[in-house]
Amino acid sequence: MSDRLTHGEWSDAVESGDLLGQTCSDCGKTQGTPKAACPHCGSRALETVELPTDGVVYTETTINVPPVGIEERGYQVAVVDLGEARVMGRLSDGEVEIGDPVELSGFTEDDNGYVAPAFEPR
Amino acid sequence: MARAAVVGAGMTKFGVHDKPLQELFGEAALPALDDAGVEPSEIDAFYFGNAMSGQAENDTHLGPKLASHVGMAGVPVQRFEDACATSSNAFKNAVEAVDAGVHDVVLVGGVERCTPETGKDTAAMTRIFASASHRQYEQPTGLTFPGVFALFTKRHMHEYGTTEEQLAEVAVKNHGNGALNPNAHFGKETTVEEALDGPIVADPFRLMDCCPFSDGASAVVVVSDELADSYDAPVDVSGVGHATDVVPIGDKETPHVTQAARDAAAQAYEQADTSAAEMDFAEVHDCFTGAEILASEALGLVEDGEGGPAAEAGRTARDGDVPINPSGGLKAKGHPIGATGTAQLVELTEQLRGTAGERQIDGADSAVAHNLGGDAATTVVTVMEARR
Repeated sequence: MSDRLTHGEWSDAVESGDLLGQTCSDCGKTQGTPKAACPHCGSRALETVELPTDGVVYTETTINVPPVGIEERGYQVAVVDLGEARVMGRLSDGEVEIGDPVELSGFTEDDNGYVAPAFEPR
Repeated sequence: MARAAVVGAGMTKFGVHDKPLQELFGEAALPALDDAGVEPSEIDAFYFGNAMSGQAENDTHLGPKLASHVGMAGVPVQRFEDACATSSNAFKNAVEAVDAGVHDVVLVGGVERCTPETGKDTAAMTRIFASASHRQYEQPTGLTFPGVFALFTKRHMHEYGTTEEQLAEVAVKNHGNGALNPNAHFGKETTVEEALDGPIVADPFRLMDCCPFSDGASAVVVVSDELADSYDAPVDVSGVGHATDVVPIGDKETPHVTQAARDAAAQAYEQADTSAAEMDFAEVHDCFTGAEILASEALGLVEDGEGGPAAEAGRTARDGDVPINPSGGLKAKGHPIGATGTAQLVELTEQLRGTAGERQIDGADSAVAHNLGGDAATTVVTVMEARR
């Protein structure tokens, strides 16, 4: 059996305050979310790697018209650059702009139990 | 030699429709057949797009339902789902089929209802639309589709200095064009001041930066190049490119470049042996104003970073040097998801025939359509040319 990173393991890590990704042993690129093969070169030689939990905001938006199931308005969603990879998360506190430093602050959970990393300014 | 030709086109008005999907589709398909002068019995196959009616209306397996309604039960029907690029993917497969000699005459179309006529309010429909973002790695953040394109546009603003006023100029232009299109959802002009005064949906997008939820249908009849001259008003399909990109957004190399659009455009221009500079106008996927600016750069109509200034300077107006969305685009014409791709091709067909009325681009000879799906991870680009 493969020890390739799964969604379950990625989620467990997020809940414990860690971010996991995959580095391709063939092309060297790193992804912030699990896949069965490298999206760039197709290689299955993907090594699970621990990503930094602090980074800078790559892009962000504040959502005022949420989907059904979310009561809150005006929450901020950001893509955070962690160095070798980026991940998407929700801001748990404060307002940030592109280039601002942020760190992992916990996680949010949706009505199906899927988790997303949460970040706050550092 | 063209890959195929469009010989008939039809669409409903986009807006709010209190009628079931098959009846709505019939109002686009029958006019398309009449325009082509073909009987349902002459259609070899039906390529069909619908993105979300399973979720929105509990209505699936639409292919044979629609075929039965328009007099072509029995033909092979294939249904496509690629979020907002749904019916242009149906079109691509139809063109490939006639180009390969598998079929001679095919119907292509799409239908969708997104307004509260479905029984779904804004919050419910916002969640259904969000199903096109990654289920595990994006939806749990509370990301919406205005949010997806806001993330791209914010980064573009950061890289190039694109402004909210330039975004508003896109809305003003497209509403002006839509006011000349009898099939447009919105027939009213707007101003930069009005656009900048609207409530924020997902910053930088205000209400007027966003396309509406619309109901509607569109259809075209596609035939092989060999048969095209036996119809009254054929328009050539010279190239159709189709590419995808990595999902989720965090794993895309440079999200705001919309790489799939660049790859699809390169394919379409190469097939047609043409280039962006030869295009007399473009219909692009302006689900949000920022998306039009990204598309104008991805298609090579303007240089990277020049999309905002081009909109502000009027270069993309009907009388500009690179007219974009003379139909009003998704922004003003409306966006019934599965009907949008073929509706762009209806506009190309009318413009290239010279029958687009008040919004006609003078002397239009070559045009490009850009239809994207999801977080820009699917894009289909089509080049059409007046037949000589």
